[in-house]
Amino acid sequence: MTIETSNQCMTAAAAKALLQQGLSCQVNSDLPPQFQVGDLVQAKVVHPATYTRLPRYVRGKVGTVMQDHGVYVFPDTVGQRLATKPQHVYSVRFSAQALWGQAAPASDALYLDLFDDHLEVP
Amino acid sequence: MTTHHHRPESEIALRVKAIESLLVEKGIVDPAALDTIIEHYEHQVGPHVGAQIVAKAWVDPDFKRRLLADGTGAIAELGLTGFSSEHMIVVENTATVHNLIVCTLCSCYPWAILGLPPTWYKSLAYRSRAVIEPRSVLAEFGLVLPDTVEVRVWDSNADLRYLVLPERPDGTDGLSEEALAALVTRNAMIGTAKVQPPSAPTPIAA
Repeated sequence: MTIETSNQCMTAAAAKALLQQGLSCQVNSDLPPQFQVGDLVQAKVVHPATYTRLPRYVRGKVGTVMQDHGVYVFPDTVGQRLATKPQHVYSVRFSAQALWGQAAPASDALYLDLFDDHLEVP
Repeated sequence: MTTHHHRPESEIALRVKAIESLLVEKGIVDPAALDTIIEHYEHQVGPHVGAQIVAKAWVDPDFKRRLLADGTGAIAELGLTGFSSEHMIVVENTATVHNLIVCTLCSCYPWAILGLPPTWYKSLAYRSRAVIEPRSVLAEFGLVLPDTVEVRVWDSNADLRYLVLPERPDGTDGLSEEALAALVTRNAMIGTAKVQPPSAPTPIAA
């Protein structure tokens, strides 16, 4: 399955509509989430040669699911024009110490939005 | 008569011009569409949009509740949504929590709410250092936070865009929503600054 991209020249009216209405990446779907709020999750240790929204600094790290944002198209495959592959996106909290070691302030944290395909059970 | 010196255009400006004229010539880009987009970001959107949202949240507790629970919906109530702000999360700065926004992978930013990002937001230094040493980065912006404040860094790596709801400064009780909005800076809505109280009026016969 490949995603076709239009080569049509964008009109001024289409540009105006896009600026005002935006372009939703959310998908209406009853796809069940793989994780629940409160779950501990681990970012996968993968090194794709292709496009990914999984930052290198978080790979292998364990965090907590804080919120389920709903279902979105998956940029890692959309970026290659392969498939929309809709899935849940979660706000995941990682403590600064989990990411950067004991020298980081114990109170501080980093929040990332990660897709089902980026995560596994630790 | 003064001599007028024309500085040669920068390499990047020349390159953009060359690409643009090629795209137009080949019929891939309509110059009218380009003008629409440029006009939009030069004159329509900018930090004043975000400042309007922040000021409303400061004066209207019900709106603030909706804004923090569902940023996208609350901002849509004001008709202020748009491209690159389709899915909004608003995070609140308090006496104990300070939020900072970054995009480590590129430079994702709520364009419809804050306009185009400042150059430093797109720099490799900000993008890499904001996640690993946010307190040092904030200190360089002139904001030193005590250890009692929890720093939360939000890396906008997916399709959600972030807006910081800064703390309302002291001494602003009597101000109108419009006067409050005038105090709110772009950096305060990214999290690299606090909103400063209005400066005391200068006496006429100082």
